[in-house]
Amino acid sequence: MGLVCRLLEERGIATVYIATGRDLTELVKPPRALFVNHPMGNNFGHAGDDRTQSDILRAALAMIHTTELGGELIDYPTTWDENFSFAPGGKVIAATA
Amino acid sequence: MQPIRYVDALNDYYTSMGNPPYRWTVNESAPLHRPNKPLTQCTVSLLTSGGVSQCSMPAFNPDAKNDHRLDAIERDVDGQDFQIHDSYYDHSDADRDINCIFPLDRLHELAAGGEIGNVSPRLWSGFMGRIYNRSKVMEESGPAFAAALKEDQVDILVAAPS
Repeated sequence: MGLVCRLLEERGIATVYIATGRDLTELVKPPRALFVNHPMGNNFGHAGDDRTQSDILRAALAMIHTTELGGELIDYPTTWDENFSFAPGGKVIAATA
Repeated sequence: MQPIRYVDALNDYYTSMGNPPYRWTVNESAPLHRPNKPLTQCTVSLLTSGGVSQCSMPAFNPDAKNDHRLDAIERDVDGQDFQIHDSYYDHSDADRDINCIFPLDRLHELAAGGEIGNVSPRLWSGFMGRIYNRSKVMEESGPAFAAALKEDQVDILVAAPS
């Protein structure tokens, strides 16, 4: 998806990428990225937490005009309420607290 | 909590599945386009890669590779009218509230409050499959997507990968 963002930007469409994978984002380098240290699948927060969902969306949209150099990655200030891991196909990769 | 190291985890997983080593794209710089109008006048669209489809549409294949499927979703869709099929992340929260990954209700609220100009007529779900043939993204599916966004006069795309 980061590649798609890069292509769109070259064609005159501004993009912002709301990522839960910081290392993946650093490699692909989309034009603007907001890193949210939440589990994959919770980019905008918990179910029913409208306020956090709106805050993250606003923070992402704010980058549209404030980013001055392509490839900017900003860390959204957040703390998830429990440690989480990533388990593609059921294989648990333990997270470091 | 330190960010999870997805690159290492996915490398191990892809290899364990018998797939060839994934060649990650590494870019040193990125293009940038800034709209020449304020956010309050911009048309905004959304893209999720989380295996999200409307209930009337076929499910995404959670184990697909090189899946360039891209669904257009009408902006006035009911937020309950979605199914999620993806085995790479826990979508139990998003099953209950699609805004966790695809914040269409929140985007409508920003438009209603005048913080953005408009929600684009079409929102988007796709590019979920483990895409090994990246040239097809750059030459076919990506340009087709750009053309569709231009057709809808989209100024900004909010992209949320899962």
